[in-house]
Amino acid sequence: MDRRNFLRVVGATGALVAISPSTISGRLYASTGLYESYERVQLIDAQGSPIKLTDLKKETNYVFNYPYVATPTILLDLEDTTAKDVRLKSEYGEEYIWKGGVGEGRTVVAYSAICSHQLAHPTPDDSFLQYVQKDKKTMACDHGGVMVCSSHLSSFEAKEGCKNISGPASEPLASIVLEIADDDTIYAVGVLGPDKFHEYFKAFKPEFKKYYEGRRKAKKKVKTSATMVELSQYTKEIIQY
Amino acid sequence: MNRREALKIGALSVAAAATMGTITGCNEGAKPASAPAAGKKLCKHKVVVIGGGFGGLTVAKELKKRDSTFDVLVIEKNDTFMSCPFSNTYLGKLEGVNLGTFVHDYAQPVEANGYGMLHAEVTSIDRAAKQIHTTKGVVEYEILVMSPGIGYDYKGQFPNWDDEKIKHVQRVAPGALIPGKEHIILERQLVDMDDGNVVITVPSDGKYRCPPAPFERASMIAAYMKKEGIEGKVIILNATNKVSKGAAFKESWKDLYGDRVEHIDFAKIQDVDPVSKTVTYHIADEMEDKGYKVKTLKYSVLNLIPNNISNPVIEMSGVETTTDSFKRVVMNGCSFQTKTDKDIYAVGDVIAHTVPPSGQTANWTGKQCALEIANRLHKKAFELPVKKSTIKVGNVCYSMVSDNPEEAIMVTHDFSFSEEKNIIVSAGNVPKSPSGKYRSSGTAKATRDWYGGIMRDLFS
Repeated sequence: MDRRNFLRVVGATGALVAISPSTISGRLYASTGLYESYERVQLIDAQGSPIKLTDLKKETNYVFNYPYVATPTILLDLEDTTAKDVRLKSEYGEEYIWKGGVGEGRTVVAYSAICSHQLAHPTPDDSFLQYVQKDKKTMACDHGGVMVCSSHLSSFEAKEGCKNISGPASEPLASIVLEIADDDTIYAVGVLGPDKFHEYFKAFKPEFKKYYEGRRKAKKKVKTSATMVELSQYTKEIIQY
Repeated sequence: MNRREALKIGALSVAAAATMGTITGCNEGAKPASAPAAGKKLCKHKVVVIGGGFGGLTVAKELKKRDSTFDVLVIEKNDTFMSCPFSNTYLGKLEGVNLGTFVHDYAQPVEANGYGMLHAEVTSIDRAAKQIHTTKGVVEYEILVMSPGIGYDYKGQFPNWDDEKIKHVQRVAPGALIPGKEHIILERQLVDMDDGNVVITVPSDGKYRCPPAPFERASMIAAYMKKEGIEGKVIILNATNKVSKGAAFKESWKDLYGDRVEHIDFAKIQDVDPVSKTVTYHIADEMEDKGYKVKTLKYSVLNLIPNNISNPVIEMSGVETTTDSFKRVVMNGCSFQTKTDKDIYAVGDVIAHTVPPSGQTANWTGKQCALEIANRLHKKAFELPVKKSTIKVGNVCYSMVSDNPEEAIMVTHDFSFSEEKNIIVSAGNVPKSPSGKYRSSGTAKATRDWYGGIMRDLFS
């Protein structure tokens, strides 16, 4: 598959239907700090068809870029019901409440795949950051069911809002807020928690040039739809310890 | 910008640590102009950090991030930063690695984080008056953090060498554990060499900065020689039989370099003749009573890594140090405060906690120390998290062992507090990769990623 083209599709801005940023989640999270709503974007597969909750394989890393053309998000169906209303804290003490997973069993979650420690993230070449299945152990964490960053061995509890639980990371991964439509299709609508977008755009200029034709394009907001694929299709090499 | 050119015209005015009291080996008398300046009162700051390396920059940044009203000054003698971690890849001539990979300006972190920076060398510390005397004048502090790194103990290791000889050896066989000109000299010598042997010596006395460094360096130089078709060996004269990440390095050398890398245990350096390029040594059994034969070895390039010692700044402060030759700063239990003086803290290479002296650990200790100081300034009770529970993977340290393909090995350390020893201790683990070998290309990618991450942490 031609990744360059795939990435360009992700950033396509052909606004077929004008959809205003979500107001439902905006109200839902108004009471919580650290919430920002972005474009309401539908998740589609590589062929362009909308993805439904029922299409998701359990405990499989899916990646789409959101809220910006170059900011990767990992979406998971954890199989188990997530915790509810988890109180989380940024490194500098700002509090926010993670409401839990979506879908019937509250099992589906999405997180910004930029490590809160030193910004490791999946790229078309490699990925140090991904979800580790429940029955697996890594050097970073003595149990599975966690997001692990193998760059500096931090881990994050996936069913509790990706709270940092081991290694050098000192705050959670930001969450991507999802909405499910009546027909089970999936929309990303906003970002909750201490996102790292500002630092990220500052840090990886050469990379943006390589994958997105430069930083200016990398910083564009994703509109209307975002293509979601499995991590193994998104990246050449998954690195995990 | 071409940093190589910038460096040639002296942007990097590296005074090789105040080793043994010599600075640059030219005019050692104070310049007439600097004499009055040195006594002049410059300023007073709430927190003064000595040393703008991995530890010091972390303390300064974290303090400002916790509370932007904290008044923090860093005193750093070099006007440009150069990294020691990852620098062996420059000797290995790995793709895309050049001087710019290691050299950073201080302007960006000062601008981004809002701490102050004074480029001056510390000449003495008056704890009673809470004053730091520098080549530019006197700085007063309320809280002092010492993160000055290491010095070299040539005198202790080679009592028969006079200052002239030490300076000569530093010029032609640098240790290259203190970043700056020594790394540049070593790289030039490797590029200039034809066929011949490269000799690396490993210190005998206890603690030295970055325990895997000599062995990673041997691997990278072997990779370079292999690529260039240079005939010769890399010979490691190790004063002990300890090799950090030993099994992993030895497996890699055997697989990748055959007899091109030779590691000799218990090789005690007696002397170096820089003119005939000969090093003499003897094999000291752990049982010293067996007598020994003097051996000689010819070299093309010699990287003589002398015994390390706490940077002279520690002695200037007069705080209590350990009785070993490194003179580590005795800490106040589970803390980065010194035992001697509640207003003086220490991080990085110099501390008596037995966490490995690495860039990653300097960064970790810097963060912990900043937490302690921030809570103290906010008048809040605080205990380091490591006192309550083991910090899993507090340190992760990578060593690059090959090129084409790039492969690396790693070690991790868990940190915990030992009530019995009253210090923070560490337990290491060297994992194998899924292939059954210690080294892997994934770990090499992780090495590059680790370095990029920590540079972003310090400099943006």
